[in-house]
Amino acid sequence: MGHILLRHRDEGLENLHQLDVYRANGGYDALKKVLDEYSKDEVITIIRDSNLRGRGGAGFPAGLKWGFIPKVDGDKYVVINTDESETGTFKDRELVERNPHQVIEGALIAAYAIGAKQIYNYFRGEFMSAAFNFEEALQECYAAGLIGENIMGSDFSCDFSCHYGAGAYICGEETALLNSLQGDLGQPWSKPPFPAVEGLYSKPTVVNNTETLANVPPIIMNGADWYKSMGTERSAGIKIVCLSGHINKPGNYEVEMGTSYRDILFDEKYGGGIPNGKKFKALLPSGGSGPVIVDDALDAPMTYEGLTEHGSVMGSASLIVMDETVDMVWAAMKMIHFFRHESCGKCTPCREGVFWMKIVIDRIYNGIGTEKDIKTLESVANQIQGNTLCALGEFAINPALATIRHFPEEYRAKIK
Amino acid sequence: MFETFAALAQGMATSFKHLFMKPVTIQYPEEKRQVHERFKGRHVLNRYDNGLEKCIGCALCAAACPADAIFVEAAENSDDERYSPGERFASTYEINLLRCIFCGYCEDACPTEAITLEHNYELSFYDREGAIYTKDMLIVDVPVNGRSTPQPVEPGAFNRAIPEMEDPK
Amino acid sequence: MSDLVTLTIDGTELSVPKGTRVADAAKSVGIDIPVFCHHPKLEPVGACRMCLVEIGMPMRDRATGEPMLNEDGSPKINFGRGLQTSCTAVVGEGMVVHTDTEAVTDVRGTLLEFQLVNHPLDCPICDKGGECPLQNLVMDHGKMESRVYFEDKRRSDKHVSLGDLIFLDRERCIQCARCIRFQDEVADDRVLQFHNRGVNLEIVTMSDPGFDSYWSGNTTDICPVGALTTADFRFGARPWEMTPSASICSQCAVGCNMTVNTRREARSGGKPVIKRILPRQNEAVNELWLCDKGRFTHDYVASPERLTSPMMRKDGELVAVSWDEALNAAAEGLQAASSVAGLAGQRLSNEDYFMLQKLFRKGLKSGNLDVNNRQIGGGDVVAQVGIAAGSDLQQLGKGDAILVVASDLHEEAPLWWLRVKQAADRGAALVVINGRSTRLSSHATHNLQADSGDIVATVRQLVSMAKVETDGTGALDAAAETLITANNLVAFYGYEGLSYEETESLAKALANLLLIQMDGEPHVGRMNNGLIPVWPYANTQGAWDMGIHPALLPSYKAAKMTGMDAVAMFAGAADGSLDALYVVGADPIGDGWMADRGKLGLLIVQELFMTKTAVTADIIFPAQSWAERDGTFTNGERRVQRYYPAIRPAGDSRPDWQILSQLGERVGAGKAETVTSLVFRSLTKAARQYKGMDYRSLGQVEAQWPVVGGDDRYYGGNAFANTAGLGKQWAAVAESKAVKQFEMDDAVSSREDGLLLINAASLYTAGTLIDKSAVLAPRMAKITLTINPVDATAYEDGDTLMVRTDRVTVQATAVVSDDVMVGTAVLRGVKAMNGTAVARLSKIKE
Repeated sequence: MGHILLRHRDEGLENLHQLDVYRANGGYDALKKVLDEYSKDEVITIIRDSNLRGRGGAGFPAGLKWGFIPKVDGDKYVVINTDESETGTFKDRELVERNPHQVIEGALIAAYAIGAKQIYNYFRGEFMSAAFNFEEALQECYAAGLIGENIMGSDFSCDFSCHYGAGAYICGEETALLNSLQGDLGQPWSKPPFPAVEGLYSKPTVVNNTETLANVPPIIMNGADWYKSMGTERSAGIKIVCLSGHINKPGNYEVEMGTSYRDILFDEKYGGGIPNGKKFKALLPSGGSGPVIVDDALDAPMTYEGLTEHGSVMGSASLIVMDETVDMVWAAMKMIHFFRHESCGKCTPCREGVFWMKIVIDRIYNGIGTEKDIKTLESVANQIQGNTLCALGEFAINPALATIRHFPEEYRAKIK
Repeated sequence: MFETFAALAQGMATSFKHLFMKPVTIQYPEEKRQVHERFKGRHVLNRYDNGLEKCIGCALCAAACPADAIFVEAAENSDDERYSPGERFASTYEINLLRCIFCGYCEDACPTEAITLEHNYELSFYDREGAIYTKDMLIVDVPVNGRSTPQPVEPGAFNRAIPEMEDPK
Repeated sequence: MSDLVTLTIDGTELSVPKGTRVADAAKSVGIDIPVFCHHPKLEPVGACRMCLVEIGMPMRDRATGEPMLNEDGSPKINFGRGLQTSCTAVVGEGMVVHTDTEAVTDVRGTLLEFQLVNHPLDCPICDKGGECPLQNLVMDHGKMESRVYFEDKRRSDKHVSLGDLIFLDRERCIQCARCIRFQDEVADDRVLQFHNRGVNLEIVTMSDPGFDSYWSGNTTDICPVGALTTADFRFGARPWEMTPSASICSQCAVGCNMTVNTRREARSGGKPVIKRILPRQNEAVNELWLCDKGRFTHDYVASPERLTSPMMRKDGELVAVSWDEALNAAAEGLQAASSVAGLAGQRLSNEDYFMLQKLFRKGLKSGNLDVNNRQIGGGDVVAQVGIAAGSDLQQLGKGDAILVVASDLHEEAPLWWLRVKQAADRGAALVVINGRSTRLSSHATHNLQADSGDIVATVRQLVSMAKVETDGTGALDAAAETLITANNLVAFYGYEGLSYEETESLAKALANLLLIQMDGEPHVGRMNNGLIPVWPYANTQGAWDMGIHPALLPSYKAAKMTGMDAVAMFAGAADGSLDALYVVGADPIGDGWMADRGKLGLLIVQELFMTKTAVTADIIFPAQSWAERDGTFTNGERRVQRYYPAIRPAGDSRPDWQILSQLGERVGAGKAETVTSLVFRSLTKAARQYKGMDYRSLGQVEAQWPVVGGDDRYYGGNAFANTAGLGKQWAAVAESKAVKQFEMDDAVSSREDGLLLINAASLYTAGTLIDKSAVLAPRMAKITLTINPVDATAYEDGDTLMVRTDRVTVQATAVVSDDVMVGTAVLRGVKAMNGTAVARLSKIKE
């Protein structure tokens, strides 16, 4: 079976980013089908039935999200979140670089479904070559009448433009992304109002992850039941997994939901094991933002809920593998540095708390910490929990709490 | 007769005894009495070793003063004219010693140990105005190796709002 | 459906309007939820997380929609996961809020610990120390021990100048963004923004000059820490050392309430001096705000140039004399003079005006009374149809309309600009008619530019359109429709580009608009309806009310004989037909109305400073400034407001009313008055409109929303609370009986040929008082000439032009913009004048 999302990897589809190649291989058929056959509500129903959930990490059902958009006339927007800033995540980049039309097609279908006349793709500023390819694909679509006035001869019109962020992790959060997109400071706002009601320019807005939207055309073509037949009951379909770290074959893999983490790491089809015969030590299942897991959790299935009992999450499925040589305090410190750098500073617990965690873990790592500092680190992390404005603060505490839980002896070893 | 003489001798004995005892009075002002270490006499305003004033003009002494004897006005330091290592200094500092009750609350309130009650108790004035001690009268002499204030300093050398307590170099 | 929502906070059941935020609702029943980033006048953001509380909603059965009940019959409440920010949460029916549970108390301590992680704790030298919300909240809810090592704290700049008026201490800033949001949402000057991210988040100014806003001082008030300080108060005094005195701003017709903070100062020989001025809450006037002009223009009070002793001209020289000598000489001189006239400025108190007219009408039997530079007419019209008592611009919103004609409110009366703009933001229709685009235009629903000469004609056309049902689709038609169908209608009028006579007809035309009956009801005589004149000075209204007018007695009674007006006085002085002139708080020579004292036999000047007029005077009386005495001002909304003495008088100066009444006693105008409140009492007998007012009732306060002062935590200090009086509006005639339409004269267009110059107002225009302000000196308005590109063929932006009219000759920088109409040029930065004048321009060679 060929790929569903990473189709450019299939034999003979290397140039899938070109419009003619994409169309020759069934491209934009889904859009055509939607425009010809389905009403807006039918599209939303199909997506809802397919059980497609947000691939950015939160796992919010996409069909439900589209259904929240008020069914009244007026400006509405579809915003694609390509601000892929999670550590160890590089799936969206491959999609927009190599298979841009599938993302464009998915976004157009979303725009049709909610009645939007404008789509924005919010790129992470560093993705220059990807964005270049994507913009080229957009030009091709405009020339071919796939974007713009009366798409494919229908009465559906939609514009599409790209925006480049300045490289802020927080702009992956949907409200911060929208603020950044409308020219304001990239800081999240306190929900409600939700973007579905008051989003970009205070108009109803759907913000979807790139990968989520890339799933839409195949679902339309093959039906909701086909998609649901893959994966598990609550986590349907396929997911792109980004493997990095101490792994033999790092990279993106299209994996059916429900596959166990052990398979993803060690199966020859995917990761192919740890290099140099080293032993596995820990895995970050969701980049820097998910709590670290250890060997006992590897048999859990990769689903949205699979790691719950192990105190972790699937998130964006960016697996960072660490072998026995890794100093976990160092790893935690690196991640805290990352969050200290990326905290937007809007709400107090995250701004001050993560900064505080950084100075405490620096002290511990540099060997001048005390037993009290470990307690402080843990208590500061707990104090941040539940009190922040957006999820970033909740993510930021995970490196500290999970490593203290799994590797307390490593912390103690650092203390005089 | 003997009785009379005995009584006289007894009386003289007391006198003779006191002739050789240490006197309780002292020859003030030639001699001055040593006071206890924690005696609360007239206030002084202290300096750091380099001559900068410890007082930052926060007026907490004035706020703490139960007799409303202290009057402080502050101004901002600049690197060209620096009085204290902090951001601000006392441009006016006055204590009305007729009002002062020497309770030492000002000393307790001071965040930089700038004001202390020392051992000077020789406080007498010809008029009420003379009882108001100004900053010039209260501040201690510039220490050896120190410079008087205001002094020019290198820009950026002092950037704390309130200096940490060690002597700034 | 009612607009009230009932909820329970800590067991107290209360009903509040729909849409209220939980934190504000709690405050209204005296439950204090601590906040930092929240301010009742700003949109909530939920950033500081200080106000986290437990909020529960009644549970409903999903299937039936019926409320679910506990076993005891009480509704089941779902508190959800975790705590919610009460500043963003909107009240809901049946909501239950807990603000005193262990979880809430815990989180408050936690959040305060976080706030202090990077806070420098330099409270001993911080200007906010003692009235700091952060300090107060830490004392109430904080943990008393720190777990952060002092040397780990982030270090940053402590003396950043945001422009010349405001300083920023980046270490103290807790990133609540109140200042940024105030500038964005309230002031609409988007000049502040955050830079960088996380703990490095810092406030920067994005304008040149820095922090370019008339409202910058307000950010220091709302800053919940000592991060923002004003240039005049930086390290000036500790808050607890100062004495507050309630006062009223004397800079424009809005009449902002303020608090003057004073303290003894060694430099001034131990005299109390003004240390700072803060707004004082009056929700119907200035809410909690104050413009920078009002805040920083107080230096003149302490100026060494103040007149301190009476002076008389002896042998050609002015020498200091005793009060008795000067008063006797003045009385004799005035009585001996063949003709006398009185000229007053427009910043005097009602008491001063009353005593002045008593001196002239009763003592000297003369009706020659006028104010200097009468710029706006229609005071008598305002007395009939002025905005009704009890009105509050804050109540205008959707369905209401505001009309602003010939005035640049932003420059002339900043607080009105702010409140009109906010009403427009709330949905009120705003119609602006002017000869050019102003700051208000961008908020207008209908922005009608009219040639200056045509403004009155335009308004009259508008009125006639409003009177009949038209199907017209023109802009004017649409505006007329909007105005006449509005629930409430308020009309402002000014004098920009208009002659005095034109402002008179404008007032009448607007009155006629307001008097048009819509469903049997005119837009007068009821709350939030009526006319507001944008008087050029603080108490022009009072001068009208007290009969400082050649033809009107107090309370607008026509005088039996019309006296000389200001123009006649100036002419009389020049040709010798006027013998003696008494000038109170005005400078006709300095302002260019008189070239010199002419053939006057006697010139008496009552002043603060040695003005150009005073220099040529025979007798000079030193007057007390507004901060040294008490009195009342009447603002453009006819609100009579009381101000109180704050500092000791300069030298031997006396209040104006006292000088006038002592002089009056000497010329037979009755016994001299001794107390201001008694002057006011006799004034209320003469001025019918003021009946029932006295100093006690003017000093009364009632509860206002938002609550400031007391346990309030929006503000740390107590300077903002109003405990000294909200003032009282006097009722316009229309409030008690019907007013007929005003007769209009035949319309005449005053349009001349050539490039017409309008002298428009700028807030910081040089003048006697503002010139003394050290803080505002770098911000004084530059002299600019705005010309339409069509007229500016020979000039470019930035050219230096010589502008000549028959009234002014001045150098100005050219601004080429289509904000002004073709054929019109707008000169700003020099004293604003009535009417238009033909301008000749020439470019100055570099």
